Amino acid sequence: MSGLADTIEATLVREPLQFAELVDRHRAVAWRDFLHAWGEVREKDILKRDDIGRYYIPGGAAEAVAAETRAI
Amino acid sequence: MAKKAFRDFLHDLDGAGEIQRVAKPVDPRDLSGLAAQTDKAVLFDEIEGYPGWRVATALLSSRRRLAIVLGCAEDRIAQEFEARSARAIAPEPVGNAPCQEVVMEGDDVDLTALPFPLMHVYDGGPYISGTFVVSRDAEYGRNAGSYRLMYRNRRETGIDLVSPSDMRFYYQRMLDRGEPLPIAVAVGVHPFEMLAASYKAPIANDELELAGGLHGTAVPMVKCRTVDLEVPADSEIVLEGEILPIGWTADEGPFGEFSQISGDVKWNPVFRVNCITHRRDPIFYLLQMPWENDWLSAPVTEAAGLQALRVASVEPVAIRAPVGSCGYWTLIASIRKRPGEGKNALLALLSVAEVKLAIVTDDDIDINNPDDIDWALTFRVQADQDLITLAGARGKHVDPSIRAWEMGQGGLPLTAKLGIDATIPEGIPKWLYKRIEAYGKDRVRLEDYL
Repeated sequence: MSGLADTIEATLVREPLQFAELVDRHRAVAWRDFLHAWGEVREKDILKRDDIGRYYIPGGAAEAVAAETRAI
Repeated sequence: MAKKAFRDFLHDLDGAGEIQRVAKPVDPRDLSGLAAQTDKAVLFDEIEGYPGWRVATALLSSRRRLAIVLGCAEDRIAQEFEARSARAIAPEPVGNAPCQEVVMEGDDVDLTALPFPLMHVYDGGPYISGTFVVSRDAEYGRNAGSYRLMYRNRRETGIDLVSPSDMRFYYQRMLDRGEPLPIAVAVGVHPFEMLAASYKAPIANDELELAGGLHGTAVPMVKCRTVDLEVPADSEIVLEGEILPIGWTADEGPFGEFSQISGDVKWNPVFRVNCITHRRDPIFYLLQMPWENDWLSAPVTEAAGLQALRVASVEPVAIRAPVGSCGYWTLIASIRKRPGEGKNALLALLSVAEVKLAIVTDDDIDINNPDDIDWALTFRVQADQDLITLAGARGKHVDPSIRAWEMGQGGLPLTAKLGIDATIPEGIPKWLYKRIEAYGKDRVRLEDYL
């Protein structure tokens, strides 16, 4: 995993994010590099989606926030 | 006559003053956001991080540009489409193709080599939106359609197969055997190919023959390098690969739908790419949602409506699939009515694809004038006599009112349909609808008094 992929993974354990929010946080990174890192996270098959389409990874605070969204 | 390619159409649009050229380098993430700020089609000449690539978008986002494609007046689009589509011209095989000037195979395959952007705020990822997807079934033959692709990684995308389509049917047949469905995805084909792909042709029909009819000449097709399929030789880019036999199990979306709604997460199969080919100086086609998709739908829906009316022995005068209902869900037609044909026309129009609202008027109503339609609805309709409702017809997931989320993964939704007969009811004299006219307006001229 690249460092950027690790960062993305850690972020999505902490909080659920729309893909666009994730992109906004990495505007300084070249688009192709971001897409490669995103692909690495995808390939691990750990991503989940909440009811409003946000990505998150179970095992951290993001999971509870995503579950609350479902309750709404 | 030489068949026109994607870039020939760009040239035509440029000549008509319909293209906004952007010469400054643009971050690919900003392509959609910039294109959304103009009514013109846009050609981006320089993309940051993608030397040698250009991006064209919003090519068909207006009725005027659709009329340019078809070479007709804006109010004759349905008729022109219908006339051209009546003749089938078989595609012709060619050996060498511009779309195969550059080849990526094996470990070199990397979808991020294409400058696709993040299109909308709530999209589940970046999309390749303007696709012409070719597949083949051993029994039913070749099919072409348009399906969005959501980037997953260098070699894989999600592919939207939630709605009923011939390719979904092909995929289901392969899935039942536990085998992948080989497909080829052309990006950057002429709008006639895109219109043919949008057309709900009977399964036995070849959309490439329809495209040939629309062009008036054969579409040159080249064999793919890694799958037993052919693609338009003048395409800008081609992705070859297979839809994996995993069924509707991978998250895909949301995507800014042609319904003008952000949509929700769907469950779809995955497309694995084994080969990418493109021109040496490729132009990536970004189909800008929703308007470009809506205007692609409109002539197809309108032409299908005209055909349905004729099959029902009703004489159409004009027809419109309003862009407010995405050129897809509503048909408004004026007819030369004989007794009972208001209702017959409604039944015919409601049989078209997923049309859920049909309005029929007499031929004295200008269906391109919303006020005229309101007038007909107000004074020619009695709700207890002139409405038809049908339940349990085929629906489309992107319509929230059909509650598609209550279905299981891969399920197909149903919809209700409404028809409004806004023709003059039988038994009411036509003279009661005589419009008021100012006395003497043809005899005197205001400018003579100014």
